[in-house]
Amino acid sequence: MARILIIDDEEDVRIALKQVLERAGYEVSVAADGPEGLDLMKEEGADLVITDVIMPGIDGIAAAKKIRDMYRDTRIIVMSGGGMIAPAPYEPDAISTRSYLASASRAGADRTITKPFDRHELLQVVQKLLEES
Amino acid sequence: MARHLNTIPGRLVLMLLLIHALLMPPLFYVISSTVERTMKDSFIDNVRNFAQVFVDRFDRLEADVTEQRIIELLDSAMLSGQGSYAAIEVGGRTVGSSLMNVQDAGLFREDFAFGEHDDDVYYLSLPVSGLAEPAVLKLGYDESPIHEDLVAVRLTLIYVLSAYLLLTLVVAGFMSATIVSPLRWLQTVSRAISSGDVDRELKPDSRLEEISALADDLERMRRNLVGINARLKEEIAERAQAEADRRQLEEQAHHHERLRSLGTLAGGVAHEFNNVLQPMVLYLELALEDLPADSPIAENLLRVQELARRAKGLSQQILTFSRHDSDPRFVTENLAPIAEEAVTMIRALLPATVDLRIDINPDCSPVKCAPEQIQQLLVNLCNNAHQALSDDAGYISVSLGEVQVSDQLASRHSQLDAGQYVLLEVQDTGMGMDPATQERIFEPFFTTHEVGKGTGLGLSVVHGIVERHDGEITVESKPGKGTRFNIFLPCDGRGEQSR
Repeated sequence: MARILIIDDEEDVRIALKQVLERAGYEVSVAADGPEGLDLMKEEGADLVITDVIMPGIDGIAAAKKIRDMYRDTRIIVMSGGGMIAPAPYEPDAISTRSYLASASRAGADRTITKPFDRHELLQVVQKLLEES
Repeated sequence: MARHLNTIPGRLVLMLLLIHALLMPPLFYVISSTVERTMKDSFIDNVRNFAQVFVDRFDRLEADVTEQRIIELLDSAMLSGQGSYAAIEVGGRTVGSSLMNVQDAGLFREDFAFGEHDDDVYYLSLPVSGLAEPAVLKLGYDESPIHEDLVAVRLTLIYVLSAYLLLTLVVAGFMSATIVSPLRWLQTVSRAISSGDVDRELKPDSRLEEISALADDLERMRRNLVGINARLKEEIAERAQAEADRRQLEEQAHHHERLRSLGTLAGGVAHEFNNVLQPMVLYLELALEDLPADSPIAENLLRVQELARRAKGLSQQILTFSRHDSDPRFVTENLAPIAEEAVTMIRALLPATVDLRIDINPDCSPVKCAPEQIQQLLVNLCNNAHQALSDDAGYISVSLGEVQVSDQLASRHSQLDAGQYVLLEVQDTGMGMDPATQERIFEPFFTTHEVGKGTGLGLSVVHGIVERHDGEITVESKPGKGTRFNIFLPCDGRGEQSR
């Protein structure tokens, strides 16, 4: 069974995603930030990583880049809440999600997905990516 | 009086009067005294000639002449000329004319000049040698006719001089009029020019060299001033226009800035909102899966799911406004079929009673656009127009055409460059808006409708879509008359620039 690693600083996002994916039959591990996620990759490895775009410490883009560099075969999905995302929210020079997602793609993400998505949407994307690999 | 003296005719008349006052008395004196002298001299000559005639007559008398004969001679002397006295002194005895007044007989006083003794008679005595004894003939001639003649001559002289003076004044008046009237005309025209009628020409019909030269100079000056004036007016108008344009651009920039920061704020909120919504959506799906379909709990959870869907829609609208929605599909296409499709949708959404007028030019240049967003834009604008129509009276018109944006128009809109644009217009004849409302219509959640009717996001979404297409939206509205939205979308494929 495929292994999936979820990296998100929101606990509820982690829990909900874990439940949905486990019910779909995947093996799921969760990490609250980038460094923890990289540690888990080292320990357990994963076929697919789903990471939030912005997190304290190493953000989703940096994490995606590292994972892509180290684990060629691992698929990566980057999630975003849309809107402005910046360390200090609502700053006028905040970076837009679009440019963030664009840089995520450049960093090596296979797919980007915008929150809120439903279970069906998520499973479709996950299944497709895993089939491709 | 002093005012009249300070005019050209006044000065001229005064000058002439002064000259004549100085010249005329000596002239009068010289002429009249010359005439007087001549008259007196000729009087005396005449008198002496007469007297000599009678002396000759007495000289030719016989020595034994009778006294009667002497008296006859004296009488004839009295009757000749202006005689008034005639007597002869012979040997100490005086014989007088019988025509002489008795009182006059003793009056004889010898005159050596005209008018001596103030007796109006010129007396003279001459020796007579023809008689037996030495005798002296004494004659007197009336001077008064000469006096009368002199008065008449002086009067005539005065008349002539007066007539001369009068004629001089008349001629002077006429001459000064030929100077003054063109000057007055120049003055009238100058006044007209100074009070704004700058196109009047300064060209009097005077043949006086000085005046026509002055008029020419003034006319040249006027033309220069008119030129300067026109240039100044032009410059002032240009400056005012530039200032107005600058202010409008500033206001637009300010407006855009405001909307952009609102977008940033709203986008940030939507981002957080989506992070909260995400686990909710998934938890709901899991919970629903765990429950039997007929569970009363499931029914409520389905309702919650529906609400979450609505919340997602709202958040997506906010993101469209703040231009941070996920990438829409951009294509370069003719807008006509896209707009037609939107109109079909709009017809279905609006009540059948609403008069919807369509004018779509099918031959517009293609535009780089996201078709769904353009349709969304039209739907939102028509929805807004419908809400502005009270009781469905009036009409809504949607038109699509192509325009050339001029430099002038571009200079007044920061988001427009000169060039080819496709213009979408949505107009209604509804209640219109005041300027204060127009200022704020694109702000998210700004609504003039009562609470619960519309989200206040429709026009914000429109604005976000236009920005996303690198276009410009302008509003023309008058309270009570209606509103028109003009959407300019660039034809040259410059759409969707990330800002």
